[in-house]
Amino acid sequence: MIFRTPLEGIDHPQMEADVVIVGGGPAGLACALRLSQLIDAHNAERPDAQLSKENICLLEKAREIGQHCLSGALFDPRSMNELLPEWRKEAPIEAEVISDSLYFLSKNRAFKAPITPPPMKDHGNYVISINRFVKWLGKKVEEAGITIFTGFAGSELLFEDDHVTGVRTDDKGVDKSNQPKANFEPGYDLKSKVTILAEGTRGSLTKQLTEKFGLTQDRNPMTYGVGVKELWELPPGRIKPGEVIYTMGYPLTTKEYGGAWIYGCKDNTVSLGFVTGLDYPDPRTDPQHVLQSFKQHPFVTKLLDGGKIIRYGAKTMPYGGWWSIPPLGGNGWMIVGDSAGFLNSQRLKGIHLAIKSGMLAAETAFEALVAGNSSVKQLGKFQQKVDASWIKQELYPVRNFHQGFERGFIAGMLNTVLLMVTGGNGLLNRYPSHPGYERMLPLWDIMGYPPERQQLIGWAKGDKKLTFDKLTDLYYSGTGHEEDQPAHLIIQDTDICTNRCTKEYGNPCQFFCPANVYEMEDIPEEPGKKRIRLNPSNCVHCKTCDIMDPYQIITWVPPEGGGGPGYEGM
Amino acid sequence: MKILVCMKQVPQKDAPLKLNESATWVREDIGYEVNEPDAYALEEALRQKEKNGGEVVVVTAGPARSQQVLREALAKGADRAIHLEDDRFVTLDAFNVARAIAQSIKDELFDLVFTGLQSDDFGYAQTGVLLAELLGWPHATIIMQIEAKDGGIRVKRELEGGYFQYVNMPLPSVLTIQSGINKLRYATLIGIKQAKNKPLRRVTFDEVSAALKPNQLTIERLYIPQKTKQTEVIQGPPQDVAKKLAAKLRDELRVF
Repeated sequence: MIFRTPLEGIDHPQMEADVVIVGGGPAGLACALRLSQLIDAHNAERPDAQLSKENICLLEKAREIGQHCLSGALFDPRSMNELLPEWRKEAPIEAEVISDSLYFLSKNRAFKAPITPPPMKDHGNYVISINRFVKWLGKKVEEAGITIFTGFAGSELLFEDDHVTGVRTDDKGVDKSNQPKANFEPGYDLKSKVTILAEGTRGSLTKQLTEKFGLTQDRNPMTYGVGVKELWELPPGRIKPGEVIYTMGYPLTTKEYGGAWIYGCKDNTVSLGFVTGLDYPDPRTDPQHVLQSFKQHPFVTKLLDGGKIIRYGAKTMPYGGWWSIPPLGGNGWMIVGDSAGFLNSQRLKGIHLAIKSGMLAAETAFEALVAGNSSVKQLGKFQQKVDASWIKQELYPVRNFHQGFERGFIAGMLNTVLLMVTGGNGLLNRYPSHPGYERMLPLWDIMGYPPERQQLIGWAKGDKKLTFDKLTDLYYSGTGHEEDQPAHLIIQDTDICTNRCTKEYGNPCQFFCPANVYEMEDIPEEPGKKRIRLNPSNCVHCKTCDIMDPYQIITWVPPEGGGGPGYEGM
Repeated sequence: MKILVCMKQVPQKDAPLKLNESATWVREDIGYEVNEPDAYALEEALRQKEKNGGEVVVVTAGPARSQQVLREALAKGADRAIHLEDDRFVTLDAFNVARAIAQSIKDELFDLVFTGLQSDDFGYAQTGVLLAELLGWPHATIIMQIEAKDGGIRVKRELEGGYFQYVNMPLPSVLTIQSGINKLRYATLIGIKQAKNKPLRRVTFDEVSAALKPNQLTIERLYIPQKTKQTEVIQGPPQDVAKKLAAKLRDELRVF
C-alpha cells in the first residue's frame, strides 16, 4: 500500500499573502468577513494608510464552499447578530425553533421528559442547513472582495524556526504510486504573515502544529463524538418545521455516551442523526449501525414511515470543552472553530462559537497587520480576547460537563446536576479527562458484556427502506475523489493491524469508520491471517479514524483538493 | 486563433437527484460541475492557443450558479468570458440555446467554436451542430485531435468499431470535442487570483430573446427508472442446469 507523502525534489511556486485562512466553514468565513469589515472601516478612516484585501486568502479543500459542511444544525444567532445584524433577511434558514422536547428511549418505549432541561432549550434559535448557510456566507465573503480558493487543501505548515510562515497547498496530479502524472501541479508555498487554522475538528495542520509545539501540554486531552446524519423527505404533516426533539438512551447502553436529534426542516424534510461519543469501550461499536438501530425504534419508525432518505454524512465534533482548548495564538498562527474545540457539549452547539472565535481572530489579525508584527506578542492577544468575550462566559461554567460521563451515563447525569448547583465547579475546579481511544477495551475484556448489544456492534444490514448498510448510506453522501492518487489515510505500521489489532481489538476501524474506508481481507499466502485494505475514495473526511484508532497509528492527511463528500442541503 | 468554447454546468455525476414538482426536471439543491466533454474542449482550446497563439473565450447560458464554470475556465487560462445569465436558459431546448449563443456573439469573429460532444444531463449532442448551422459554418463532431494545417485545420474524428476519420476543415468551423482528447490541467492559485480581473460580459435574456423561437422539444415527464430484478435459481445436476439455462437463453431471452 502506498501512502500520500511529500514528494522529494519538487520546486514549489511561491505566493505572498498577508493572511491565510485554512478552511471555509463558519469559523473561517466569519474570520474572513470580519477582517474585510475591519479593513473597510480602517481604509475609510485612513486614506493615508490603506490596507489591501488583495492578499487575504481563504483555502477550502472542497470543490465548492459548503460541500464538506455537516451539522444538525441548530443555530444560536448570537454571533451572527454581531457579524451581520441583517443576516436574517437574506440567509437561508429552515425554520425558527417552535418547540423542543427531550425523550428517553428504552428498547421499545419513549418517555418524554416533563421539562426540557434548560441547556437544551432552543427558543430563539434556528434550524438551518449548515451547507446552505455556509454557501451563503461564502458568497458574502467573495462579494467583500476576498479570494476563496476552493479545491485547495493546506497540506503542510511552513516554518522558520518557531514561527509559522505560511501554508503549502496540496500537490495535484499525483498517481497511486505517489509519482507525478503528466498534469502534475505542485502545491504552492503560500507565504503569509498570519496563518489562521479553521480546518474543523482534528485539522491536519492543527495536528502538525500541536505536535511541533506540544500544544496539548497542561491541557485536558480533547475528547470527541461522531455525529452520523441522514436527511429524509417525509409525507406532509409528519413534523413541523422548527420542531426539535432530542433523545437519550436506546440504542446506546449505559456504557456509551451520546444521543440523537430530530429537527423539522422546511419542505417536509427532517434532519436526524445520532452522536456517539468516541470514548466507547466496546471496539465493535459502529456509529452508523447505532443510527440505523435508532431508526428502528418505534418512536422514530413511526416518524419516518413512507419517507425517503435524501442524504447521508458524518462529522466528528470536539467535546472536551474549556480545559481542552489549546493555546490559541502564537508566532504567525491562530486556531479557531472546531480545530480549537470551541463547542458547548452541554448545549450541543458550536456554530455560534466557531463564528465568534473567527471574528475575534480576525480582530487580532487586523491589529497585527496594522502593527506590522505577527509574533506571539500580537497574536497571543487572541487568547485575551476570547477570555474577555462571551465565549468564556458560555464555556467556563460547563467546563467539567463532559468529564462526568467518563464513568458512564448515570454518573454523568449526577455530575451535571452537581455542576449546576455549584456553578460549574463540582468537587474540583478542573476535572481531568482521558483520550477516548484509551477507554477502548481489548476483545477479552468485553466477553462479559451483557448480550443485548447487537443493536450497536458490527455492521448494520439494512432493509434498504428504513435502514441501510454502510455502502448504501455512503452513496447518499455524494462522495467522490480522483481515484488515481495515493491513500491519504496514512497507517504508520500495517503490521500492527495484522499481528496485533486483529487479536487485541478486532480491527475496530472497520466499524468506527462511517464510510467503509477500512476493510480486512484474507492474506492468500498466510491462511487465517488478515491484512488491511483501504478504500480512500469513500472517505467523508470525518477524521474518526485519526481520533479513535487505539494504537494512534492512523494519520488523516488531505487528499487531492476537490475530493470529498457533497453535503448538499446537510 | 480565436476560439470560443461553449460550456455548460450540469448536475454532478452521482448526485442523488430529486425531481421538481411538475416532474419535468431535477430540483436545484444538488451539486453542479462542468460538463465533462466541455472541460476537454476548454483544455484543447488552451493547448491550441499555447501552440498557435490567439485568444480563448468561454461562454455559458444558465443561472447565476453557472458562473462557476466560467470562473474555473478563466482560472485555467481562458482570456475572457460571456455569461448568458438567466434561470430561463435552463428551460430552452438545444436549438434555442444555439440561437441564444449565436446572438450573443454576433459582433465577434471567431476562427473556431468548440463545444463538448454532448451534455451529461440532457445528452442531446445537438447544440454545437445547430450553432454551426446558425453561423453558416461547417462542423465536425466527435473530435479526437486537432492540428493547424495550410491555413485550416486537420481533425481526427472517432467513428465506431475503433475506426477514425481524418478530415481537413476550413476556418471558421465548429468542432464538438470528445472526452479524453487530452489530459485536463488543474487550476492554479495564481490562475484563480488573476481570473478575478479578467473580463466577464453578462448577457441578459432580453438581449437574445428576439432570436428565440418556441421550443420544439419539451420534457413531458421525467421519472427515476424503476429497478425490476427477477432472479431465478435453476437447481439440479450441472448437466441439467446447463441444458435448462441454454434453453432459457435460446427460447425465452433469445440471446442466441
